[in-house]
Amino acid sequence: MIEEIITSGRMNPEIDPVLHVWGWEIPFYLFLGGLAAGILIFSAYFTLRGRQDELPIAVKWMPLSVPFLIGIGLISLLLDLSHILYAWQLFTNIRWESPMSWGAWTLLIITPLSIAWIAIWMEDIFPKWDWKFDEVKTVVKWLKEQRRILAQILILLSIILGMYTGILLSAFNARPFWNTSILGPLFLTSGLSASAALIAYFSKTELEKRLFTRIDIILIGIELFMIVHLFMGHLAGTQVHIQAAQMFLGGAYTVPFWTFVVGLGLLLPVSLELLELKHKFIPAIVPVVLIIAGNLALRFIVVSAGQASRWLY
Amino acid sequence: MGPLVPQEIIGADWNLFIAFVIGIGFGFVLEQAGFSSSRKLAGLFYGYDTVVLKVFFTGAITAMLGLLFFSLFGWIDLSLIYVNPTFIWSAITGGVIMGAGFIIGGFCPGTSVCAAAIGKIDAMVFIGGILLGIFFFAEGFSFMKDFYMAGAYGPLKVSDFFGISGGVMALLVIIAALVMFKLGELAEKKWPREEY
Amino acid sequence: MKTKYMNPYLAGVLLGLVLLMAFFFSGRGLGASGAVKSVVVTAVDIVAPGHTANSDYYGKYVGEGKSPMKSWLVFEMIGVMVGGFLSGALSGRLKWRVEHFPGITANRRLVFAAAGGILFGFGSQLGRGCTSGSALTGMASLSVAGFVSMMAIFGTAFALAYLLRKNWI
Repeated sequence: MIEEIITSGRMNPEIDPVLHVWGWEIPFYLFLGGLAAGILIFSAYFTLRGRQDELPIAVKWMPLSVPFLIGIGLISLLLDLSHILYAWQLFTNIRWESPMSWGAWTLLIITPLSIAWIAIWMEDIFPKWDWKFDEVKTVVKWLKEQRRILAQILILLSIILGMYTGILLSAFNARPFWNTSILGPLFLTSGLSASAALIAYFSKTELEKRLFTRIDIILIGIELFMIVHLFMGHLAGTQVHIQAAQMFLGGAYTVPFWTFVVGLGLLLPVSLELLELKHKFIPAIVPVVLIIAGNLALRFIVVSAGQASRWLY
Repeated sequence: MGPLVPQEIIGADWNLFIAFVIGIGFGFVLEQAGFSSSRKLAGLFYGYDTVVLKVFFTGAITAMLGLLFFSLFGWIDLSLIYVNPTFIWSAITGGVIMGAGFIIGGFCPGTSVCAAAIGKIDAMVFIGGILLGIFFFAEGFSFMKDFYMAGAYGPLKVSDFFGISGGVMALLVIIAALVMFKLGELAEKKWPREEY
Repeated sequence: MKTKYMNPYLAGVLLGLVLLMAFFFSGRGLGASGAVKSVVVTAVDIVAPGHTANSDYYGKYVGEGKSPMKSWLVFEMIGVMVGGFLSGALSGRLKWRVEHFPGITANRRLVFAAAGGILFGFGSQLGRGCTSGSALTGMASLSVAGFVSMMAIFGTAFALAYLLRKNWI
């Protein structure tokens, strides 16, 4: 028997010099997580502001999608795990220092809460809805009374969920490109922007459409600002970080990133949304498709580039 | 100084992004000029709308003068600019076939993509045609190869061909263009049309 | 004459400046048919990879480490779609329609558009570039091929205009 002593992860050819571990599943899951978080934040926030009847799509309708988004996200996450049958062990302990643990627990709590949140609005969106059992009616009535508390908890958890989709990567010390605290807020903002675009697309009233178009424009502005800072931060860092940033500033990721993420995924939709606010006719589907494609592209490229960025020694 | 990418003043990896940005400018100008309308494009050949002539020649002259002046100021090295090589027989035959395609289909490739972007279905069908046409050419290439390569003169410039300087050549083109612009204006007066 | 389009001479100068920028940055001119060719090569390569590798024509564009879609013209044409769309949005011209002379039916227009496209596609390959790639760019760089293409394209279109007048006027 040949004995192999593994002293470092770097002995694994799948890890060093470049990571080959993550395919499409992880970025797709990160996207869905961000989207679910964004939808819940808007819904809960505008409930707290008492605008649920003015903004029905954002507050009452969109949360319907959240359990599905989380479900599909978890399926793609499980597809990525090599030991699916042991996945439950994530829940056997809480590790404060591990973002995986944070994410797993947040999802575990947020999923039932989002279902409770949907239950609150069921009678509003389906007037003929009947909960049938008195016990259920009592619970839903109680939930409605707790609406404000529930909204606050949801906002908090959704921010954690949205941030975690980025922090998950930045906690990965061995990959210089992910080593930046801005990934968390960047992914959160981009998730919010995708959900704002979706709300604007589905909204029926001019008021809701314009409000969310305006919100989306601001969010995209923030995203662009953060992207600039992401690179400034890397360029001001150590040699490995500078090299990681160079992949986007003249290296292999330059063209996909600046063309597809920044150009087609942020600048073009934001220009179209600005034109829309000026009452120019834009087919409504175009900005939202561009934003969602840009959102996916951002996560795919960040995940892929992070795996390719490496330490020099 | 220029061209920036071939001289590696800007990294080669930026080149495709630059192409994207330049394409946006190209598409925007084409659409604003009205090249997204086949009726406007075809108008040149019936005299009712000569916008193609005006835009095409003004554009070519602007870039031609730009290159000459940039070269004069030492901003660009003309020897690094790609000059498409001349294969005289295939250029003439190809041009004749393209001319027929132009008057029959009402677009050229660039304008059809631009028109398709604003929802013209005839332009999308035209693009489908281009795809097929290129496919036919590629499949039949082995039969046409000799003809395709015949009459090769390399990257020949008109100014060298006539033995005059680039500046004189540009001047001649400008004079020719001005005459054509005048004819175009006259034609539009003779065959007026409503805006569509 | 009032028009909803830009003044043609101004548009021409802007077009010239875009072309000049292409020369200044990338050392090459504009084009269009080359991007469509990349699409054809990619499609054929997916359907019949052995065929492309052995072909005289496709063989130049495929093979180890070569991707026909990663080309200057493909990215330029993606930009053209974006620019055209933005311009159409700005001027309120975004609309699904078959544009044709009122004297003919939409179907007739589409049949002729397809036929014209086939001819243009074929001719652009034989002539090594279309109106943008060979004629416009070639004229700006004073290439003989550019002037020859330009005269052949416009000359033929004028010569055939009478035969096809029912389609347009």
